[in-house]
Amino acid sequence: MTRYRERRVVITGIGVIASGGIGQQAFWETISNGLSSIVPIQRFPTEDLPIRVAGEISGFVATNYIERKLINRTDRTTQFTLIATQEAVQDAQLVLEEEAMERVGAVIGCALGGNEYVLQQFRAMYTRGPRAMSAYTAIAGLQVANVGQVSIRHGALGYSKTAIHDIVGGLDALGMAYRAIQRGEAEVLIAGGCDGPIEPTVLLSIAHSDQCALGDDVRAYRPFDRRASGMLLAEGAGLCILEDYDHARRRGARIYGEIVAHSQTNDAHGMTIPSASGKQYARAIQLALEEGELLPQEIAYFSADGRALPTSDAGEAEALHMVFGSQCGRIPVSVPRTTTGHAYAAAGPLDAITALLALQQQLIPPTINCEQLDPAYGLNLVRDQARPTSGSAVLLGGRSTGGSNVVLAIRKVE
Amino acid sequence: MYRRVVITGMGVIAPNGIGKENFWDACISGRSGVRRITRFDASNLPSQIAGEVADFDPLALGVTEKECVYLDRATQFSIASANMALEDAGLMDRLSEEERERTGVFMGSAMAGVDELERTWLRLTESGNHPPRETKEREALIPTRMMTHTYAAMIAVHHQLYGPCNSLATACAAGGDAIGEAFWAIQEGRADRMLAGGADSAISPVGMNVFAILGALSTRNEEPQRASRPYDALRDGFVMAEGAAVLLLEEREQALARNAHIYAEILGFSSNINAHHMTAPPPDGTPLQRLLLQALRKSGVKDEQLDYINSHGSSTPPNEVAETAAYKAIFGELAYRIPISATKSLIGHAQGASSALEAAITALTLERQVIHPTINQEQPDPRCDLDYVPNVARRATVNVALTHSSGFGGVNSALVLARPDWLDREK
Repeated sequence: MTRYRERRVVITGIGVIASGGIGQQAFWETISNGLSSIVPIQRFPTEDLPIRVAGEISGFVATNYIERKLINRTDRTTQFTLIATQEAVQDAQLVLEEEAMERVGAVIGCALGGNEYVLQQFRAMYTRGPRAMSAYTAIAGLQVANVGQVSIRHGALGYSKTAIHDIVGGLDALGMAYRAIQRGEAEVLIAGGCDGPIEPTVLLSIAHSDQCALGDDVRAYRPFDRRASGMLLAEGAGLCILEDYDHARRRGARIYGEIVAHSQTNDAHGMTIPSASGKQYARAIQLALEEGELLPQEIAYFSADGRALPTSDAGEAEALHMVFGSQCGRIPVSVPRTTTGHAYAAAGPLDAITALLALQQQLIPPTINCEQLDPAYGLNLVRDQARPTSGSAVLLGGRSTGGSNVVLAIRKVE
Repeated sequence: MYRRVVITGMGVIAPNGIGKENFWDACISGRSGVRRITRFDASNLPSQIAGEVADFDPLALGVTEKECVYLDRATQFSIASANMALEDAGLMDRLSEEERERTGVFMGSAMAGVDELERTWLRLTESGNHPPRETKEREALIPTRMMTHTYAAMIAVHHQLYGPCNSLATACAAGGDAIGEAFWAIQEGRADRMLAGGADSAISPVGMNVFAILGALSTRNEEPQRASRPYDALRDGFVMAEGAAVLLLEEREQALARNAHIYAEILGFSSNINAHHMTAPPPDGTPLQRLLLQALRKSGVKDEQLDYINSHGSSTPPNEVAETAAYKAIFGELAYRIPISATKSLIGHAQGASSALEAAITALTLERQVIHPTINQEQPDPRCDLDYVPNVARRATVNVALTHSSGFGGVNSALVLARPDWLDREK
């Protein structure tokens, strides 16, 4: 495959709001120590629901960050996006007044949109009539609300997109932003993802898609474990400032890392959990290694999709073995989001932020809850405690229901 | 050096015609697809009209029985349109496994899953009488009907396509964005063929009401076919519609090597955002100006070479004022000589599908050298005084065309298309 790499793309700022913490420091503290932040859901009664625990963000008071007028027009997930974006912009020390704003945009993935806001409006409409629906329902509910509100708040006038593809939407958003800067469509892109699945109707529908561990066990999310029965959900947002490398150097920005590859393949096996076949996923990993010119020994760890479903786990393990062969046992694998829960489309960006901090701190955050790791997978899973690393790259994998396999590669910049 | 990308197939499901020929015939004949809503009792809504797709027979269009059970209407539209596009391109069941690894699907949608979410919520709460909980009713919840990425994913499943698969949700610009992103994917060598387009079907109480409550919808209920009237002084809001369009994009050398029929070449794709307001464009249309300029420059097209604009033309009072201001700012006097037509006058606003339907008809315009009219032009708006090809289709020399769309959230996108031989012409 020919590469059209006119420009290099680096990450100069990060912003996080997750069950593990609001802000990158609190988040890293949680995730590097494997301190589980999954709790019984507090926001609504759960006796009648099959899913009752999640990575819920507690202590989140929107008015601490955002003016009331905007709160009334936005869903919780967009508020997360705005807060994480603010942190990322500040972290990057980006002075937007000095930028050509037609060259600044936003690419944000979100699967479930402003579902909490919208479902509240369903109730208003059906119990009190059509005129009781909030006039802001469309703008609060559409996934594009995230790039819309970010662009308005920060004055970004450039290339902006909303990726929506189940749980890989955020990872794809980072990939799309990477491609866009490579092509010269933009110089700075606010990129990442958000999602909020913790809502009764949404939990019921996700439960029916057989992806989640059900019940009350907060430790149930355990990929590659003999007892694996699905993931546990979370809410949150992860946003990064992606920037043209030369642009970053000129303004003396601190560089966390460089995106060196983004690949997408498809199993096309049906609208169901990730496939037991690792063939197409392996192809995605291979494409990323080639595009990024990465050697296995450079890889600090593989941040796995880690769906914790026996068939999907088998597919992922198969893919890793197909790609790395006899070296597979030497490549550390981890699923740090076992600590905070799977934040749907935000998971990929949160994994990427975890990876950047891991490379910076030279520590691989652990996978937790896997006391009964199944040795048949033959994976070098980093468990319970962070492991030091001298690796310089992280590969991030994500697989959607419906068959999409996405791999993003991030490397330290020397 | 980027590779070149051409359109070699298309499938269309529109309120005024299913299939590209029916769609084309209806548009150039000025036939509207807007009617009074039949699918639910809309009498308590201010707007009771929509562009519904009539007589959609999924089985006849190659959607399987199982797909009809597990997938919602818009996903069925998507599969049916993709089937038509592959058939049209002569590639149905013709691609090897290796070729299918180099074939992907990008689809755009604004309101995927909304109507099914509404039905599901009603069942789980018994019409809002209690919080959602499990019911024994078998049909209560089919998650695949609500997953917002099914359009692209199911096209890939149906045709066993293993290349890049993604969905865009940039509101009313989504379908065009999917086509533009697919164009870039082939240019850059990430795929050799892409099915790309958009679909939406949200003509439901909630789907209508989210716009009605904004006052954004036309209330010309007594005369549905005259309600969508972009640029006309009496326009009073857009008309909700449903539909889908899928184009087959192909790397040009490979298309030529297999003697594929080529509708048009894609010269460029550009996109920006207003950063102004979540629903209304700035009245002077400056971001749109910048977008159109950028689209033409990137495509290497000079102003005087542009032969046709298929506009966003949604039939809302502010939109067409901003559009017209943008055209005049860029083209000056030349703006009066470029024919402009608005497909939404014929079919209403099919949300995420609209920009894909408009790309399809723009490609057909280049192929057939006939421009479809903007219908319902009866009372000129003095602020909109350009040539909108009023009411009657027109033969014209069209070598280069531009189609643009704007969406809630403020995204503006444009595609520049040309006749297949234009880029290599004797200059």
